[in-house]
Amino acid sequence: MTMERIIETDSQEAFIQEVEKVQDALPSRINANPKNVEKGLAKLVLTLVELIRKLLEKQAMRRIEGGSLSEEEIEGIGETLMKLENKMKELKDIFGLKDEELNLNLGPLGDLM
Amino acid sequence: MKIYAYGIIDSKDTIDETIFGLEGASVYNISYRDIGMVVSELRQKLQEITDANVLKHEEVIEALMTKSTVLPIRFSTIFYTKEDPFSTMVFYYQDFKDNLARLRNKVEFGIKVIWPVETKKQRIIDVYHKPEGNGLASYSQSHKAEHNPERIDLPIPFKEGSNVSISTESSAKTFVKEKFHEHIIEKEFQEEANRCIQVVDDYFNRIACEKKLKRLQTESLLLNASYLVDKDRQNEFKQAFEQLKNAPSDLKFLFSGPWPCYNFINLTKRPSSVDYFNSEDMLGRLLKTQDL
Repeated sequence: MTMERIIETDSQEAFIQEVEKVQDALPSRINANPKNVEKGLAKLVLTLVELIRKLLEKQAMRRIEGGSLSEEEIEGIGETLMKLENKMKELKDIFGLKDEELNLNLGPLGDLM
Repeated sequence: MKIYAYGIIDSKDTIDETIFGLEGASVYNISYRDIGMVVSELRQKLQEITDANVLKHEEVIEALMTKSTVLPIRFSTIFYTKEDPFSTMVFYYQDFKDNLARLRNKVEFGIKVIWPVETKKQRIIDVYHKPEGNGLASYSQSHKAEHNPERIDLPIPFKEGSNVSISTESSAKTFVKEKFHEHIIEKEFQEEANRCIQVVDDYFNRIACEKKLKRLQTESLLLNASYLVDKDRQNEFKQAFEQLKNAPSDLKFLFSGPWPCYNFINLTKRPSSVDYFNSEDMLGRLLKTQDL
């Protein structure tokens, strides 16, 4: 090395582990072939549904936080969110997908969720 | 014959000293106007990424940096014809020129920070569940105005004494309540992360010309930062790290540098289908990579 480089850390192992985790997250792509095309498609669709569900949930929490909702409205939101979450669980089970699989790598933008 | 690329330099001249690149081949400069792309010829396909290959790539760039400003090209960039490096420079000429001017006499430093994520989370949860935490005022504006980590208040619908008691609470309301707890804890967690990042960044921000901060790439990896630093201010930057390291904290650091400016090359021009990657060109590339 021609530059006077410093690489300094008090916990090399911990950093190696974390950097590997970041790298592992990178090359994810949807592998479509006749055998798994259904699952691949379900994964893509459910990822988008999950994204929308999470956005709805976040928005609801913000409104609750803002204090602008009545008891009845909160009750209604709760029921909706609960049903949505249960439905998602069912669908994930049907297609054998885990939570961590429902993500898309957007290249330089990072992960969708 | 394939062409392996190392970097773009601000010189059209041939490279005087002998620098050996991958497969032990000498590197040379392909010039266009007043800039050049430093490459070496590659006989084989790069089978795998080995430490030796990556280090060789880095060594070539560093050797070039002693005499020129270098835009380091990503490891494993291979061209399949002799014209391709040339057309890349024609296409990106202005971008390359702008970056070369911006990055002249600059180097990059990297700081990674790990924080004790479980302890941090537990602390937030503990504060949240403190009996006096179920406070009187609603959690909102007062919290934002003045951060008080010893107290997290619940919004009015979830306060003690609200007209729905826990025993008669509907499952929908319990569900929302749980979600809301998670939401507040997550929010507090994100705010705590921002505060910690701010503390670290304050050490370096005043010295660096530019920075790229990636936060929470994993839950533990609080910060993965790159700073662009004037060559003359390298020592100052290293001293800033010494100060940070010696300050009492529960953070772990990985400090590295100086590096070539891998993370600070900004290209404004995107290849369009018409003038750079036309379909024939793309097909040609695909066929070549198939090794038919």
